[in-house]
Amino acid sequence: MKRRWLVAFVRHAALLAWTAVTLIPVYWMLNTSFKHSGEWVTWPPHWVPEQPTLENYAQVLTPGSTIFDLGRQTLKVLKPLWDSLFTATASALVAVALGSALAYSWARFGTGGKNYPYSVLTIRMLPPIVIAVPFLVYYVSLHLLDTYTGLILVYIATSLPYVIWMMLAFIEDVPRELESAARVMGASRFRVLSSVVLPLTVSGLVATFLFVFILNWSELLLALTLTNTQVSTIPITLNKFQSVNEGRDYGPQAAIGAIATLPVVALGFLIQKHLVKGFSFGLLRK
Amino acid sequence: MAGIRLAGLTKAFGASRAVDGVSLDIPDGEFVVLVGPSGCGKTTTLNMIAGLEAPTAGDVYIGGERVTDQEPRDRQLGMVFQSLALFPHMSVFDNIAFPLRIRKTPPAEVRARVEAVAETVRVALLLGKRPATLSGGEAQRVALARTIVMRPRAFLMDEPLSSLDARLRVEMRTELKRLHAALRATFVYVTHDQAEAMTMADRIVVMQCGVIQQVGPPLAVYADPVNHFVAGFFGVPPMNFVDGALAADAGRLAFRAAGVTIVLDRPAEAVTARDAVLGVRPEHVRLRDGTGGWPATVGLLEPLGDETIVFLDYGGPTSIVAKVDPDEKIAVGDHRRFMFDRGKLLFFDGTTGERILR
Repeated sequence: MKRRWLVAFVRHAALLAWTAVTLIPVYWMLNTSFKHSGEWVTWPPHWVPEQPTLENYAQVLTPGSTIFDLGRQTLKVLKPLWDSLFTATASALVAVALGSALAYSWARFGTGGKNYPYSVLTIRMLPPIVIAVPFLVYYVSLHLLDTYTGLILVYIATSLPYVIWMMLAFIEDVPRELESAARVMGASRFRVLSSVVLPLTVSGLVATFLFVFILNWSELLLALTLTNTQVSTIPITLNKFQSVNEGRDYGPQAAIGAIATLPVVALGFLIQKHLVKGFSFGLLRK
Repeated sequence: MAGIRLAGLTKAFGASRAVDGVSLDIPDGEFVVLVGPSGCGKTTTLNMIAGLEAPTAGDVYIGGERVTDQEPRDRQLGMVFQSLALFPHMSVFDNIAFPLRIRKTPPAEVRARVEAVAETVRVALLLGKRPATLSGGEAQRVALARTIVMRPRAFLMDEPLSSLDARLRVEMRTELKRLHAALRATFVYVTHDQAEAMTMADRIVVMQCGVIQQVGPPLAVYADPVNHFVAGFFGVPPMNFVDGALAADAGRLAFRAAGVTIVLDRPAEAVTARDAVLGVRPEHVRLRDGTGGWPATVGLLEPLGDETIVFLDYGGPTSIVAKVDPDEKIAVGDHRRFMFDRGKLLFFDGTTGERILR
């Protein structure tokens, strides 16, 4: 009896410690985002802000663009927030639509040959920087540099392998006999898709969308290479703090971090039901 | 309602032929069972009738019309699948209504027809449920309802009872037969279970290796099999086979095997001497006291209540199995003599397996 209690205690202690390790950076970001500049760096550290403030949020959320004045940088986040939201959503939507269609036609008709999904996967085996520079060269001549279209296109290309592989798992979970039954009962191929396959893979579609959205939402390298002043995503904005030359703007940086995390967390909660079903893949579904 | 005709239907997967030149005429209203071991091509044949697989060669006719190139949805056939294929994301009502809604039937008519069919197959109380909450028998009836409601030209069934437990399977067998009698529709039913084939079919089609072996009414196929395979496929316990040879014996034909010699009422010229297999069903093996027949030892007993299965060790490579009356006084280790009912002996060619001496 005593032994079992001890085992439970050790196990919980270990889990708590691990939770702390993973959550403390997130907490520290939130904590700092509500602090005045005087509290950003103190010893001993302030675990809660002594004088909580919203000034960091107010500063980064005021309309206007990032300015660099008298050696002091003021970062604005509304435009990057929109840029990130737009590019990540658009690219995830198109990639999921295109990728699931590809996955379906490969799973059911063998379109593209036996090795198609594997050859698509090789795109992911290259370090992104390898494709970033050639893309830059193409984009200059195609006038796609520093445009939404350009960034969205490259995100679609890099997300497709993920979408195809995730959706393959979900599509192969739909028994073929269901599709055959619908066809014998008079359904066209399109009707089979809309009435049978789509409703049965909706959790997979949602999970895949979210996965790809987060991927593109937090992508830095390609955005940094292929955009300049017209388009500027959240990761690029955060990255700009590296060049602040007068002190460190920890407060606004933490505020932007919090703002960047928020949509993803909110989205996750909104579609929790689908995520549980989706990320368990075939495990819970039979 | 319509009959179905298959003409030289062939399906090749690469070098192997899953179905090889199947020709069959199924008149309107007949209950035909395609039966054979797994991989014999029966399901592929059914899928080609449904249009789910395209034949490599040959044609399918429904109601006299050539449908070989038609999409499944244009063939107006009802099909029940092995997994039943109920749509898990729809209620029972929506499942049954599915084929009607695809044909853009007015909602009022959909409701009326679904409710009427649900009444006939006794699922009226389940209409609001999801398929996952149904028992095996209920799901079975819903799958039937969904097929009946579309008033198909013929019914195709691919091992629809295989997911049920033994008792329910027997019940559903009866229910399907009643349904067939009530609908008077053409049924093409695929199974590997010889008991299902025997009990339900108007005609049985026995298939092996993609080729039709024999077509006929259940009792004819049982009593008069054309070859070794068909003979062995039907009957529980299966037919006894004794390897031996046919040869002349003083002007008459005789079958000789280890432990058994039978002189037949046939002239020696009836067949040329050759290796042969004797086939005799367990119910045609008689136990005797005293003389006559051949000696054997009772090796094993399987009492079933209505009859007892006796395994007789007679000196051959396998036992002879006999069905005897349950009241027969018999025990393992008994020395008994046995013989065969003369008129019920079947002989098969030792090499080709074809029936000889019919």
